[in-house]
Amino acid sequence: MLRRPSAEFEAQVVAQLAPMRRYARALTGDAAWADDLVQDAAERALSRASSSRPDSNLRAWLLTILRHIYIDQLRGRREIAVDDESAPWRTLEAPHGEVDGLVLRDLQRALYLLPAAQREVLLLVCVEELSYQDASTVLGVPAGTVMSRLSRAREHLRVLLDRGPAQDPARHAAPLRVVGTTR
Amino acid sequence: MNDDELERERASAHPAPAASPDSGAPFGPMPSKAAADDSASDCAALCAYVDDELPADTRAALQARLADDAGAAQRVAAWRAQKAALQTLCRADDAAASPGYVVLRRRDPWWRRAGLAAAWAVAGAGFAVAAGTLMPQWLPAGSWAMRGAADRDAAFPARDGEGFARRADVAYAVYSPEMRHPVEVRAADEAHLITWLSKRLGKPLAIPPLGEYGYALVGGRLLPGAAGPAAQFMYQNDAGARLTLYVSASGRDRDKVHLLSDGSRRTFYWSTDGMGYALSGPATEARLRTIAYEVCGALGGTSAQW
Repeated sequence: MLRRPSAEFEAQVVAQLAPMRRYARALTGDAAWADDLVQDAAERALSRASSSRPDSNLRAWLLTILRHIYIDQLRGRREIAVDDESAPWRTLEAPHGEVDGLVLRDLQRALYLLPAAQREVLLLVCVEELSYQDASTVLGVPAGTVMSRLSRAREHLRVLLDRGPAQDPARHAAPLRVVGTTR
Repeated sequence: MNDDELERERASAHPAPAASPDSGAPFGPMPSKAAADDSASDCAALCAYVDDELPADTRAALQARLADDAGAAQRVAAWRAQKAALQTLCRADDAAASPGYVVLRRRDPWWRRAGLAAAWAVAGAGFAVAAGTLMPQWLPAGSWAMRGAADRDAAFPARDGEGFARRADVAYAVYSPEMRHPVEVRAADEAHLITWLSKRLGKPLAIPPLGEYGYALVGGRLLPGAAGPAAQFMYQNDAGARLTLYVSASGRDRDKVHLLSDGSRRTFYWSTDGMGYALSGPATEARLRTIAYEVCGALGGTSAQW
């Protein structure tokens, strides 16, 4: 019975579901997987209410949990090398926004061309607007690493967007992978 | 760094010490190793500038420098645009997909657990004593909550008005989109509904009619509140828009009406004669305040609460 979280805590977690889902979607590029992740993370957070620290950022704590589950699940899933035609950014629907949809599609493609660690730090700082300190907690790396990784991610993304993915040497250095499920 | 490396990083206890950041990442935009080293700290500073992480004086100094350094200024501008575009990209479907509720429905299990916990809390007096003793230890988590003390003791009902309003808001978010089972007892059995819920909440309840505003009663259901049972009555108009009135013991004689806004939903909440009330509805319902005023009055409230 000790696992019953307080109503306040529950409400606070519920209020973070949207950012959690957003992060999970961006991380996985897969809406269904993202929803599973959010559900698992929310459940785990609620059952571990007592291990969250009141003096730290709740969103960062939740994203940390979510990320750990994501990485754990990566182990259980088989990675399959794919060709460009079935890569995730091909099948993701182009987002509708105020900014030109085509620009966003390029950005989306470039985002998924980044190494996972660079993608993550961009999402945490730019989209979830975590402080460097909170991002370093989520990622489990020193704040200095967050900063250096972030600046490299930004430069990398800028280069990708400037010259288009076709010329990106990283594609040849590290073959693209998509994560498929064996379950 | 690919996902494999991400995994390894997770596996190691203290990954990536500051001395060896992931400089081996396989990509090639950096022109050369030497140039990368030269500009690394510079890039980091610009980064921190874009994210507003610099102390005021450093920030001012950097800002002054940007006026003369076209390359750096350009980089800052590009990164800012990137940040804005990433936000647009990733938040694009936030608004469209009525945040929260799809996910909430998938989280049935913990709702049931919470319900079970509430049932136990009511059933076992011994447990209540135990909980009272244990609460202070496991509620530090609860001090995420804005108000601490009053809320920390299980023996007190939901004193925290905002916590109460959030529960009402969540209950609205969960049940108002429900097409097949929006309520447990339908309005056709209104008399039974009132008797049943009055008995469960230990207080005679009333369901104010809202026909004047085009809303008819759909029915009601019993829910776990913060420290006991809660009732939710649902109304619907011809356009299919729904309102809910959430009722639970508050232990407060009289509290002013407050508003909780959460994206597309609004909740007016108050207390009258020991009962907490919350009227929730879509933000598109312009008359929600008027309706709340009406409901508050119908349930023994006074205009002084507004």
